Amino acid sequence: MSSEMKKNEGGMAQISSPGAAPKQEPMTLDQVRLKLNGVRGKKFWRSLDELADTEEFRAAVEKEFPSAAQEWVDPVSRRGFLKLMGASMALAGLAGCTKQPDEPIYPYIKAPEDLVLGKPMYFASAHPFVTGAVPLLVKSSEFRPIKIDGNPEHKYNRGSSDPYTQGTLLDMYDPDRSQHAMYRGENRDWQEFAEEFRNKVASTKDGTGIYFLSSAITSPTLARQWSEVQKIYPKAKLVQYEPAIAGTFLASGLNVQYDLSAADVIVSLDADFLSSASYPGFHKLVRDYADRRKQPEMGMNRLYAVESMTTTTGLKAEHRLGLRASEIPSFAAALAAALGVPGVTAPGYGWTDDQQKFLAVLVKELKANAGKCAVIPGLYQDPSVAALAIAINAALGNTGKTVTVSSEPAIPLPSDQIGDLKALVSDMNAGKVDWLVILNANPIYDAPADLDFLSAFNKANIVAHLGSHVDETGQIAHWHIPSAHYLESWSDARAYDGTVSVVQPLIEPLYGGRSAHHVLQTLLDDPKISPYEAVRSTWKDAITKAAPGGDFEKGWRKVLHDGWIEGTTYAAASGAKLAIHGVPAPIAKDSIEVIFRPDPNIYDGRWNNVGWLQELPKPVVSLAWDNAAIVSGATLVKWGFEEDDIIEISVGNGRVKAPIIVAPGHPDNAITVYLGYGREFAGRVGSGQGFNAYLLRNTWAPFYAIGAQRKIEGKWGVAITKSHYQDHRVKSLLGQGKGDNSLEGDEAVSPAGSADGIGPRGIIRYATLDEFKANPNFAHEGYKTDTPPYDDSLFPNWTYNEPYAWAMSVDMNSCTGCNACIVSCYAENNIAVVGKQQVRIGRNMQWLRIDAYFEGDLAAPRAHFQPMACQHCENAPCEQVCPVGATVHTPEGLNVMVYNRCIGTRYCSNNCPYKVRRFNFLLYSDYETESLKLMRNPDVTVRSRGVMEKCSYCVQRIQEAKIEADKENRLVRDGEIVTACQQACPAQAITFGNKNDKESRVSKLRAQQRSYQLIADINTRPRTTYVAEVLNLNQELEVTPTEFAPAKG
Amino acid sequence: MPQIFDRSSNALARMSLVLTGLIVIALGVTLDQLQRSPWVTRQGQRPDQPVPFSHKHHVQGLGLQCQYCHTSVEKSSYAGIPPTRTCMNCHAQIWTNAQLLEPVRNSWYTGQSIPWIKVHDLPDFVYFNHEIHVNKGIGCETCHGKVDEMPLMYAQNTLQMEWCLNCHRNPAKNLRPTSEIYNMDWDQPGVDKPVWCAAVPNVDGVPTAESVSCTRTDPSGNPAAQASLKPEALFRPVSLTTGDAAQAAPQIPYEKFTSQDELGHYLLKHYNIRTPKDLMSCEVCHR
Repeated sequence: MSSEMKKNEGGMAQISSPGAAPKQEPMTLDQVRLKLNGVRGKKFWRSLDELADTEEFRAAVEKEFPSAAQEWVDPVSRRGFLKLMGASMALAGLAGCTKQPDEPIYPYIKAPEDLVLGKPMYFASAHPFVTGAVPLLVKSSEFRPIKIDGNPEHKYNRGSSDPYTQGTLLDMYDPDRSQHAMYRGENRDWQEFAEEFRNKVASTKDGTGIYFLSSAITSPTLARQWSEVQKIYPKAKLVQYEPAIAGTFLASGLNVQYDLSAADVIVSLDADFLSSASYPGFHKLVRDYADRRKQPEMGMNRLYAVESMTTTTGLKAEHRLGLRASEIPSFAAALAAALGVPGVTAPGYGWTDDQQKFLAVLVKELKANAGKCAVIPGLYQDPSVAALAIAINAALGNTGKTVTVSSEPAIPLPSDQIGDLKALVSDMNAGKVDWLVILNANPIYDAPADLDFLSAFNKANIVAHLGSHVDETGQIAHWHIPSAHYLESWSDARAYDGTVSVVQPLIEPLYGGRSAHHVLQTLLDDPKISPYEAVRSTWKDAITKAAPGGDFEKGWRKVLHDGWIEGTTYAAASGAKLAIHGVPAPIAKDSIEVIFRPDPNIYDGRWNNVGWLQELPKPVVSLAWDNAAIVSGATLVKWGFEEDDIIEISVGNGRVKAPIIVAPGHPDNAITVYLGYGREFAGRVGSGQGFNAYLLRNTWAPFYAIGAQRKIEGKWGVAITKSHYQDHRVKSLLGQGKGDNSLEGDEAVSPAGSADGIGPRGIIRYATLDEFKANPNFAHEGYKTDTPPYDDSLFPNWTYNEPYAWAMSVDMNSCTGCNACIVSCYAENNIAVVGKQQVRIGRNMQWLRIDAYFEGDLAAPRAHFQPMACQHCENAPCEQVCPVGATVHTPEGLNVMVYNRCIGTRYCSNNCPYKVRRFNFLLYSDYETESLKLMRNPDVTVRSRGVMEKCSYCVQRIQEAKIEADKENRLVRDGEIVTACQQACPAQAITFGNKNDKESRVSKLRAQQRSYQLIADINTRPRTTYVAEVLNLNQELEVTPTEFAPAKG
Repeated sequence: MPQIFDRSSNALARMSLVLTGLIVIALGVTLDQLQRSPWVTRQGQRPDQPVPFSHKHHVQGLGLQCQYCHTSVEKSSYAGIPPTRTCMNCHAQIWTNAQLLEPVRNSWYTGQSIPWIKVHDLPDFVYFNHEIHVNKGIGCETCHGKVDEMPLMYAQNTLQMEWCLNCHRNPAKNLRPTSEIYNMDWDQPGVDKPVWCAAVPNVDGVPTAESVSCTRTDPSGNPAAQASLKPEALFRPVSLTTGDAAQAAPQIPYEKFTSQDELGHYLLKHYNIRTPKDLMSCEVCHR
């Protein structure tokens, strides 16, 4: 390590240019490590700035909303401010006296029979996603879908969802969706296209020159329609290209399911299965993983992660080994060889001692747990990793127990997507393509850079584009047809376990969109067959078989009601074996590796215009509104950069400019870039955000490539939310105190860390399984932060003896930091999107955030994810300072915001120790856009400028349940009220209920010894409690993750 | 040096001080009154509606029940405004050529809604719920006034927050038996017009409408009134049975009420009405 430190000092010397004031030292790895080395016990940090304790960081946390003052330096916005002020002054006195304008009522002409205005209805549907459909139960208010949630009765996801699925709601109401069919820029009808297309294809007799380029087909009905088209026009060609999965084992048809409920040991080989739906089976894998961690006394699973880009999977893992992406196939082969998988020899590679030790431990653990372990391969890895993982699982006897290989592919038409696309481009260049019909794909934007798709595109005779937006491809296609959203048209899709769900539309297409079913059907015998009829005929036999009495119509109604077709799970393959082709050799250690990943928020770019997802801080890096060149701390120092510097990355002929940021634990000498940004024609939200990483991606290297970097002058201005909401004013402003008014990492220290005089506040409390067994009360010992005696308050105590006392419990062991809860909260509570500049100055409006507390070495950290929303303190500090009584307590213990009383002093936020209040500095809510009005939850006020807001424990749902219970003269039942975050959570980490009911789940969780409150020492008596983590560490590897530093480049 | 100001200036100065004070107070009072005046609250105002629909004619004259049009008042937060079809149910047969009904027919043929003007218009940050009020013994007339005597609809009450709280502070003063919700002529009980009520002893899980039964006619020696205590299955036996084996349905004792206060408190208990503390909590109406 010492030689490494010297090297870093060299790096330092390069960047501190002469003349520059040395006051702002860039964060150095040395300082950080020294800091960490000096500390015994657990030491947590939230961001690199905090770790280095830079001037900037100190300055930022002194202000409650970082850099809030900067805005006034800008003369334009200052003028704008004065103008606004003038207007508001003029109105201030009168606002109370003005009368409301007349409001019209537009009743129905004929009321729909089953509609009760004001009562929502729920319809089963499914989100057809390429990694497997997400079965849904969609809330519909007056026939407008207003909230998407998982189908609670479906075996696969049991009501959970994910950020993507939650975001598709805003995607449907996106005002920038294309609204007209167009031919060369002129509005046309769908009918005109359909006729022209049908006649044209018919005139070719056999389909010569007719090409389809589609995103990966997920609908079995669409696949059936295609096979029928093939029968009539055998020479027509279908190319599927889905940038995020092209080249993966998923695209080529491998279909593996894991049952983690039976796995004691889980090994991830670059598989990020805990952080987002981009990994197949995410919802089930997370739930099964979390279920085995909810009661540590009953035994726990143990997760090992070998990964490249730091993901929440790696940070949640008991033991994590950071490797460069190109090293992982070799590591998998070495693991397979050591486990005695026949036909695999370990490739010769210079593994470090640490890596060898990790490998040896893995081998020992897997052998000891043969039959009850699972090895999960990364999706964005060379397919050899998947083949090796299957072989390892087979050799260990896991197949049939924790691992099932299916004989059917997970997508109906598996293909060599990259090869097919290459062939299409050469056909276009050869002039063979007469009509190219693009179905929900955007190749101009996302095709591999070396194909030069654009110039080939121009050689096609006619290009028709079916898409939701007039995107990069739609701009230059001859025909553009608006595509119907999945909530607008009939289709079908299969979940991870193969169960078929019918995609049931919730609303008539907003802009007359058509689906791919329509396009293919125009070529068939009866072009009038609607997608509805097509889906029904596909599943006629299966439904009739499962239907009571063999009545198809009854069966169909049951399918629509339940949301799935019984008896359609994938059949397991017997003795499935995959040929293991050559394992690619790792990229040389001294060359720079560029790793491509779909974005955790906007995936391959399709949700670029979804504000909720853009504003969501990405897991690990907490970056919003941009993608970045993500590197390790050591690499940043070695290259002599600071975070937010602009670098130019080049791979092959592609060059992009990107901001550089650090992810703790990232492998050295490697850059991870997220795909999906740098769109030109995404819409008002997404256009121009980030950089287009597809320009670096070539057919020969879809997952990682050798690249180069060089520095470009200037700063990018990334929006990173890590250091927001931290506050140690007491310490830095008054020069006294212990800085204990905050949520800084150094306050999260455990008892042993109290030597420096700050802690121990124990924001994060955890123990190893052995420690927990020896001392089940570990979460309460040695902390000064447990609630003071009951009478220890200046304010009169209030006894909460109503029938209800609402409370929430968050299981820190289960939370994987996937962000599904945050997006769910956006939809439920009409939360506004504020834009990048406002996020940069700390004004994002998310009511719920997930704080990541990192621990250990910068190169090999562990993280603890803590969902943080209003704690609903019984002794709420915010209430005592509000001059107008706009935030008050209810008898049931809710801390409520009364928006119409709030005058915007922000005292409450100032006094909130958890920093969970959000202020509408500007008019963030969109009152103008028509389509967004349809999306709002009618039970929640849309907040205006100058109003404070925060988590309400979904008070609208509480009220609804209470009214329902009151009508029946009974109490609200446990589990009747589900908050939006709880509903979305795949790990079931959040539990809400009545703590006055001793039998409720939340009461039982609160009664657990591991349950603790945050910053309770200041007598806030929060209603939200956290269940402390227990880690099932392997004693053979160090407990504190310091030694597994990745390979140094 | 001569005095600049005459002695009378003293009086003027004092007077102007007093006047200033008075003006300030007057301004305050004016604004306060203005805020509560019909100009702001629209209390009692009859906006121009596309059709001069008369509740008086339809309710008093023809005897239509409230729910014929306001169908969801018992089951949703909205009472519901009738679709054009409800009008046409009758007006396809009667008054088919009436000039007044032209907008209705027009709506029926064109498929365009009749643009009514909202008479009871709460601010957008208020979440009012009809179903819970109606299910817990607040009659239509309590808030909307004697609609059956309104040829043109107007708001009887201010619908301001103080008016809401006035009742939420003490719901007992307005509660009535749920059987009388739609009764426009319900009189509060008095010494000369008593009300008799009987209630199931244990209301847990029993909807309010089925747990309490009230009558205006003295039930003692009036078998018809007693028989209206329905449904028997929900009534658990109470210990007043005198061994009358012939009586299959268990008897519930009737209590007599001679004032609204007594009746209100009785209903408060048996309708399981939330405490005023709970009813006045902000989140009940604002969220």
